[in-house]
Amino acid sequence: MRVPFLITAVIVSAGVLLSLVLPDYHLRLLNLSVVSAIAVIGLNFAFGYAGLISLGHAAFVGMGAYGLAILTTRMGWSPWRAMLVATTATAAFAGLIGLPLLRLKGHYLALATLGLNVSFYIVAANWIDLTGGTNGISRIPELTIAGRAIAGERPFLWFGLAVLAAITIVAFMIHTSRYGRAMIAVRDDETAAAMSGIDVTMTKIAAFVLSAVCAAIAGCLFACHVRFVAPEDFSYAHSITYLAMLIVGGESTIVGAILGAAVLTFLPEWLRFLGSAYLAFFGLMMLAILVFLPSGIAGLGRYLPRLRSPTRAAPASVSAKELGP
Amino acid sequence: MSILQARAITKQFGGLLALSAVELTIAAGEFVAVIGPNGAGKSTLLNILTGLLMPDGGQVLFDGKDITRLATHKRVRSGLGRTFQHGRTFARLTVLENVMIGAAIRGDRTERAIRDAALAVLDQMGLAAEANESIGSLSYGRRRMVELCRALACEPRVLLLDEPAAGLNSGEVDQLVDRLTELRARQQLTIVLIEHNMGMVMRLAERIAVLNFGRKIADGPPAQVQADPAVLSAYLGHGYNRASV
Repeated sequence: MRVPFLITAVIVSAGVLLSLVLPDYHLRLLNLSVVSAIAVIGLNFAFGYAGLISLGHAAFVGMGAYGLAILTTRMGWSPWRAMLVATTATAAFAGLIGLPLLRLKGHYLALATLGLNVSFYIVAANWIDLTGGTNGISRIPELTIAGRAIAGERPFLWFGLAVLAAITIVAFMIHTSRYGRAMIAVRDDETAAAMSGIDVTMTKIAAFVLSAVCAAIAGCLFACHVRFVAPEDFSYAHSITYLAMLIVGGESTIVGAILGAAVLTFLPEWLRFLGSAYLAFFGLMMLAILVFLPSGIAGLGRYLPRLRSPTRAAPASVSAKELGP
Repeated sequence: MSILQARAITKQFGGLLALSAVELTIAAGEFVAVIGPNGAGKSTLLNILTGLLMPDGGQVLFDGKDITRLATHKRVRSGLGRTFQHGRTFARLTVLENVMIGAAIRGDRTERAIRDAALAVLDQMGLAAEANESIGSLSYGRRRMVELCRALACEPRVLLLDEPAAGLNSGEVDQLVDRLTELRARQQLTIVLIEHNMGMVMRLAERIAVLNFGRKIADGPPAQVQADPAVLSAYLGHGYNRASV
């Protein structure tokens, strides 16, 4: 359990350090990275562990964001209460839609989730009474702590980092628990998983709901940060971006999810000089990563054996001792 | 007292009758081998017993209860374990984690208890030294042992083994026979073995059931089955049968 805390501490301190030196515009990008990272940690449960190819992740982010926007602006709820209800409702929706959806496999599931995302966009853009259509919903209130608004890029970043840290630790705990192992087993071999006493359907639904919960929390943070939501922010193109973030960072790793989110949020900025050639570069980069670095940025960690071996060797020697003669 | 029973199991795949009214009764504590030529329906029978396939007709009884429609994972939780013909392990988990999947079957176990139970099984089966290895670094034979450990960690009362010796060298087969003998001596375990390795079957089985073209053609003690003309005919062809009888 020490390693996850260490990693979380490194990520949070890096964020805090950056928050003190970066200009406002970059802080905004950093905030978007943090929000995306939370969403991508969620996607990692569904895709990275349980192998459920979801191209509808942005729809769950959108449900969280719209849920919060509607409850705060129309009903006058506090953002905290709205966040709780919007996240719970998104989770419940994911569970219900997951029952029929997760019977599908591979590219069928990918297409069905893509359809879900497109449907979400159409509903958000056309149910004008509720969502304001393509004009979106503005004047979403800020989150407040003890009467003080979390306003401005820097305070929001600190708050976002705290949420990211909490979610990272919870995600690590799930990863190393029987539930995390069950998800990985289901992806590796469904039949063998069932034959080892794992309820395959429930495990998939749990992974899908967990992914939706993280997505909804990210959506709520996004809504409170930008204070404006519109259908464009949750189109299927964003779902593909989340998937790309996970693959660039390193699928089925939590660190990879965070790194990927940060890199792909800043990349357009770093490569601004490429102009409209950026998309071509992005496509080639994805191709290169899939071919040469299929385990993503996090996969580079294995080239640092000296750094890793002490933490790896320790549990091995402990378990050997436990066995005894 | 029978612990596992297949009653008039019938299964059809398109025009192929894979199993035709097959009866199989396993008594608690028994070691039964199911043999038969390729395509006889042995694995299909195992898939029906474990709920991976639904029969077109007939019933599966476990502990006197009808489990014909019960989901696989629930059968496993009530004490039915199994290994697969080609060995199925979880590639992204370590050896220990693979076995911990099985040990997590008891919902009341803490993470520590799951780990300890898995380590105990690995130790018992002689795999403790490889606990932290990745599955990919093991030989095929060792991987199949990991799979057996995972099945054992589920604490089955009945263990179904689908050709556990296939692809193993003779040393590994001997080791497997020893381990299975030990297991039977140590705990009240009922074992159903599907196997082509007749040496192994003869060393272990107390009773042999023979399937051919989806029908059970013999069922009895090894010596009796070995001399059964129908069995000889199924394995060696009618010519042999006519010539010898």
